[in-house]
Amino acid sequence: MGVSMIGSSQAQIRRTELGYRDFRFCFGKNDERNRILSRKTNHVCFVGQSNRWRNSRLQFAVKVMKAEPVLASKPSIRSKSLGSSRLFVGLPLDAVSDCNTINHARAISAGLKALKLLGVEGVEMPVWWGIVEKEVNGEYNWSGYLALAEMVQKVGLKLHVSLCFHGSKQPKIPLPNWVTQIGASQPDLFFTDRSGQRYKDCLSLAVDDLAILNGKTPIQVYQEFCEGFKSTFSSFLGSTITGISVGLGPDGELRYPSQSHHQQAKNSRITGVGEFQCYDRNMLNYLKQHAEATGNPLWGLGGPHDAPGYDQSPSSNNFFKDHGGSWETPYGEFFLSWYSSQLISHGNRLLSLASSTFSDTTASIYGKIPLMHFWNRTRSHPSELTAGFYNTINRDGYEAVVEMFARNSCKMILPGMDLSDEHQPHESLSSPESLIAQIRTGCRKHKVEVSGENLDSRAPGGYEQIRKNILGENLVDSITYQRMGAYFFSPEHFPSFTEFVRSLNQHELHPDDLPQEEEVTSQNLNLTADSSMHMQAA
Amino acid sequence: MATVSIDPLLQNPRLLSCPTPAAKVLLTISCSFTSSVNSRNRKQLLPRLVVSSCNFKSRRRIHAVRASSSSVDAALIETFESATDIFYKETFPVKRTEKLEGKIFIRLDQAKDQKNWELTVGCSLPGKWILHWGVSYIGDQGSEWDQPPKGMRPPGSVPIKDYAIETPLKKASKGSTFHEVKIDFNPSSAIAAIHFVLKDEETGAWYQHRGRDFKVALVDYLEDDGNMVGSKRGFGIWSGALGQLSSMILKSEESDSNGQDNSSECIPPKKDNRQLEGFYEEQHVTKEVAFGNLVSVAVRKCPETAKNILYIDTDVPGDVILHWGVCRDDAKIWEIPSGPQPPETTQFKNKALRTLLQAKVNGNGSQGIFTIDQEFVGFLFVVKLNDNTWLKFQGNDFYIPLSQFSSVQDQQDQTDNSRISEKTAEANGDPSPKVYTDGIISEIRNLVTGLSSEHGQKTKTKEAQESILQEIEKLAAEAYSIFRSSVPTFSEEAVLEAEKPITPAQICPGTGTGFEILCQGFNWESHKSGRWYKEIKDKAAEISSLGFTVIWLPPPTESVSPEGYMPKDLYNLNSRYGTIDELKELVGTLHKVGLKVLGDVVLNHRCAHYQNQNGVWNIFGGRLNWDDRAIVADDPHFQGRGNKSSGDNFHAAPNIDHSQDFVRKDIKEWLHWLRDEIGYDGWRLDFVRGFWGGYVKDYLDASKPYFAVGEFWDSLSYTYGEMDYNQDAHRQRIVDWLNATNGTAGAFDVTTKGILHAVLERCEYWRLSDPKGKPPGVVGWWPSRAVTFIENHDTGSTQGHWRFPREKEMQGYAYILTHPGTPAVFFDHLFSHYRSEIAALISLRNRNKIHCRSPVKIVKAERDVYAAIIDEKVAMKIGPGHFEPQNGPQKWAPAIEGRDYKAWEAC
Repeated sequence: MGVSMIGSSQAQIRRTELGYRDFRFCFGKNDERNRILSRKTNHVCFVGQSNRWRNSRLQFAVKVMKAEPVLASKPSIRSKSLGSSRLFVGLPLDAVSDCNTINHARAISAGLKALKLLGVEGVEMPVWWGIVEKEVNGEYNWSGYLALAEMVQKVGLKLHVSLCFHGSKQPKIPLPNWVTQIGASQPDLFFTDRSGQRYKDCLSLAVDDLAILNGKTPIQVYQEFCEGFKSTFSSFLGSTITGISVGLGPDGELRYPSQSHHQQAKNSRITGVGEFQCYDRNMLNYLKQHAEATGNPLWGLGGPHDAPGYDQSPSSNNFFKDHGGSWETPYGEFFLSWYSSQLISHGNRLLSLASSTFSDTTASIYGKIPLMHFWNRTRSHPSELTAGFYNTINRDGYEAVVEMFARNSCKMILPGMDLSDEHQPHESLSSPESLIAQIRTGCRKHKVEVSGENLDSRAPGGYEQIRKNILGENLVDSITYQRMGAYFFSPEHFPSFTEFVRSLNQHELHPDDLPQEEEVTSQNLNLTADSSMHMQAA
Repeated sequence: MATVSIDPLLQNPRLLSCPTPAAKVLLTISCSFTSSVNSRNRKQLLPRLVVSSCNFKSRRRIHAVRASSSSVDAALIETFESATDIFYKETFPVKRTEKLEGKIFIRLDQAKDQKNWELTVGCSLPGKWILHWGVSYIGDQGSEWDQPPKGMRPPGSVPIKDYAIETPLKKASKGSTFHEVKIDFNPSSAIAAIHFVLKDEETGAWYQHRGRDFKVALVDYLEDDGNMVGSKRGFGIWSGALGQLSSMILKSEESDSNGQDNSSECIPPKKDNRQLEGFYEEQHVTKEVAFGNLVSVAVRKCPETAKNILYIDTDVPGDVILHWGVCRDDAKIWEIPSGPQPPETTQFKNKALRTLLQAKVNGNGSQGIFTIDQEFVGFLFVVKLNDNTWLKFQGNDFYIPLSQFSSVQDQQDQTDNSRISEKTAEANGDPSPKVYTDGIISEIRNLVTGLSSEHGQKTKTKEAQESILQEIEKLAAEAYSIFRSSVPTFSEEAVLEAEKPITPAQICPGTGTGFEILCQGFNWESHKSGRWYKEIKDKAAEISSLGFTVIWLPPPTESVSPEGYMPKDLYNLNSRYGTIDELKELVGTLHKVGLKVLGDVVLNHRCAHYQNQNGVWNIFGGRLNWDDRAIVADDPHFQGRGNKSSGDNFHAAPNIDHSQDFVRKDIKEWLHWLRDEIGYDGWRLDFVRGFWGGYVKDYLDASKPYFAVGEFWDSLSYTYGEMDYNQDAHRQRIVDWLNATNGTAGAFDVTTKGILHAVLERCEYWRLSDPKGKPPGVVGWWPSRAVTFIENHDTGSTQGHWRFPREKEMQGYAYILTHPGTPAVFFDHLFSHYRSEIAALISLRNRNKIHCRSPVKIVKAERDVYAAIIDEKVAMKIGPGHFEPQNGPQKWAPAIEGRDYKAWEAC
């Protein structure tokens, strides 16, 4: 391998660095089969085992080694934990079919190779409860996901696993059949809105600790699922699998299914305020108990009566009105604090379950929160309130959430990194940027690392916004770009994605373009240390 | 034979590498490569061929050969070697092709035991030769082959289906380049003839005899179709009609016969006693072979004059002209240096100089020395061989940096550096993208010394990047095509969004899904490579990723004309485009990437196998052995006994009488077979003017294609040489045909193409709106059945029967790819500089879900501009005039802009 030559030849120049460098190469050979070393302007480089070079037609170039002293002067593992961003791409939601085969295996395989060549760190793999534990409680079939994980490992990419305890509409991935069957006879397992409509893609958080699943509580079932995952994927954990996110609710996010999940009105570009989801029997019970305990039994009979409907604007009814709205009344405070604390307790149950289950692995644990950015320029932030975040002009509702993440040493997945204020419809009074800033301030305070995600790969100016969001002050743990599929690889999209990845690299290697002098090298050192945007594993 | 005596010398091709006297002799011979064959001196032919084979083999041993050439160089550039101030030295491999001439011989003689006979087929050219052969038995009808009896098959034979055997040729003797195979057979068996073709596995080329099989008759009463070997040749009607394989040209002149005179060479076995006579015959063949050669460049600084002295050395034989210039900066703009030029230099335009390199003393290549002023930073060149071939460096000019290291350097450093960069050159020199490890090592070396050519490195790094990016693009295209193919053409969402009840009708062969975009996957030259199916296979993912849904492949049947439009045996799908197996593989690949495949079926006419008693070619052979009742009665040339034609006549071949039940039954069966056996999804129907559309309906009902389109091509209306504005009569004829097919097929919108010609040639954009404000072509009347196109293999390509106005093709595509109808894109345009623009238009069409029935509103049709809004989603204009869509209910965002066309989409 060329590697030994590099080591020795450079040793002549910088003998003192030798120890570090050797360490690094050992690491590279033994642990990570195929790693990205560095990037240069318009340049993708790899190092790996020599037999791989030939197969995947990779090359690493001269410039890599020029940057070498920079890396070598700092133990490589640390630089990862220092907050360098790693780019992940989500695998298709239906990558594994409901009969545990890999959908479009060839396309995924080609796609993985392309991503690897581009210098992407890894992929995100959704693992569905409804597929793995489809028919019978306690009977797991991981084979499809194992095969997929092997594919990913073979290509040399990292894997971030999302354990999905929810269902999906598009593509259609329901909850496990046995859960659906139980739900058919006990509809109060599901979130329910004011008009009695059930949200059947996720169990209500109110049943978390009720033994409704064949005598087990959902939390127990989730825990067994996690254990099963851990033992099945033990050989991948910590090496290929570097992150696990545990599903916290609808679409995996910590929230109530407050937004209309039915066909939205056409041509409406504005998302309505959504509705509170506290009408299943168990939720109403808790509400009642809570109201009685606080001495206002009448407040426990139901949710706010003057809240608008799903697609309506805040001012269409009294609850969210900017001035004089019920949200600012004692009743409003009572209800909203209860409603949001239920959500946080639910998040806490799941995250502590996950972090204890996986505490003996090196994989990081993540939870995802939503970015309910519509209407957050109003005083009441109605979309956030209905989703369960008691965040208004008067109150920081994320503090408690972030604190809960910190308590469980979990990292936070924050979507919407691609959304910029200027592209939001003016009438929606939305500001994704300021909401992200608010949440991240909380995270910084509690030292919760943020992993960014995009919401819409077609968002105008999305890449620029992502760049803005992960560069400079804004350290992120990683970025997950959603999501691989036909559009992702289409001629309309893929070139711009390539451009994006390369632009990230460009930033990093900017110092590389400086003249190659010894004293500049030390300057490089500082620059790289400051630079938040490391795409590399090293 | 002459070869035998020199064989020992040639056993090891590496002898070339040793500067032994023997090798030198050979090298001298190799210099005479390009000289034409001297027919008088037949014996010389063989040594020449043999030497070339050595070179040929050395292609893979570039390094080995290089070592030798540098050792030869050593003496010649003694001054360079001894000088310590060489700052650049590099060896570039170059590839060139050379035509090798050789021969195929066929010998029939009696085996030693006097009972059996032995057929020997050999070839003197190097290659991996395979004899692809079969037999016909006495009493067989038609031209099909049968498997020979087991005992006849030489060891190593592989049966191919049930009709042929493939037997590899073996070296006649160790070290010889002669390959041969012997087939023993018993003359008393019922075999009437042995048929064969030679295949070169290395190149995939088929070597035939006058465009047909070689045929060795073992009985004398076989009809000679012109491809019989070892018999008197009747230069029948066929030999003229046949094209030649480009990769291999069988000389059309009478072949050399060796030793025996013509009369004994033909086998005139008596019919009664089946007396065989031996013969020996040779055929000239040529084969293009790629050779690896090297160009070495060394630069040193002349200490006295501070000028750079550049030494170029190459082992390319023959006259080598260096086409060169110098440049002052990275932009690499060619300039001609002033001052004295080397001998034999001429100026080429104002751009470059051409210097004939001097042949080296030992005859092994040539060399030249150039003195370049200090002010220039680079030396650019390409190598021109006297036969008008150019040798480039990975498709680009060779670039030699001159200035980088002219600064004063420590003497010791320089020596080190020159040594290292020499190694570098060795590793980097190999252009194969696979050999990255070498590149890496060398780049590291360069880094270590930090002195090597910065420019060279940059170029290379860039190339490495390029190839990685290309690889990424390829992978992404593959992923895209698979993902896309498994997504329904229009998803649930799309239907919901469409909401209006124009949800396209279900799939029907006239329209497909309604969202089809067709790619014509060949042109008039495609048969020339002999491996078109393979070539398209390599492009499949790419074509699919551009957004096409359907690909039209060339006519697959055995054909009298190489392009396939003169079909003969409909069940023989080995054509100039490839074999039936390659076709199946191709169709499989196309399906995998989500493309539907149209077979080009020629139903109007068919070439006969045999003459009738009047000498008229009207008896068919093969599986569909029709007689003259299958031929229409109204073409006197072919004396058909069928009914009168139901359409126009195509005069070059017997027109099929589709009114005959047996004909229709056979055609339906054949179409079924093509669907099942090959996997075709639909048809492109050739020359449907020739028969009633009702028969087409019959065929389509029976074969149930996914998509079908007919070629109904006749002339538009002109008055005094000027195209009429009103082309209703023309489009009516096409629509009439469509009606006759009951709408089961679409038709090429010839009317639209014709009108676009007039529009673009004369700047008369008003023509694009008919009196009712609709598109003036078929697309205006029956859009869902109009397959719009601007060019095809007949109108354009190398035939150019009716070429679309040049440089205006993109306006044509801007029209058809935004408008209703099913657009078809011609291969030549797709693989040209128009590609990205076409891809953008296709993507616009797909993105906005424009389909074959999308409503079109013409907004402007004036002298110099035409503009339309399609389905309220896409606005477009063509022509130099001004147009901007009005922002009303929709807001328009520009989507694509090109020369004299622009498109917007609603946002």
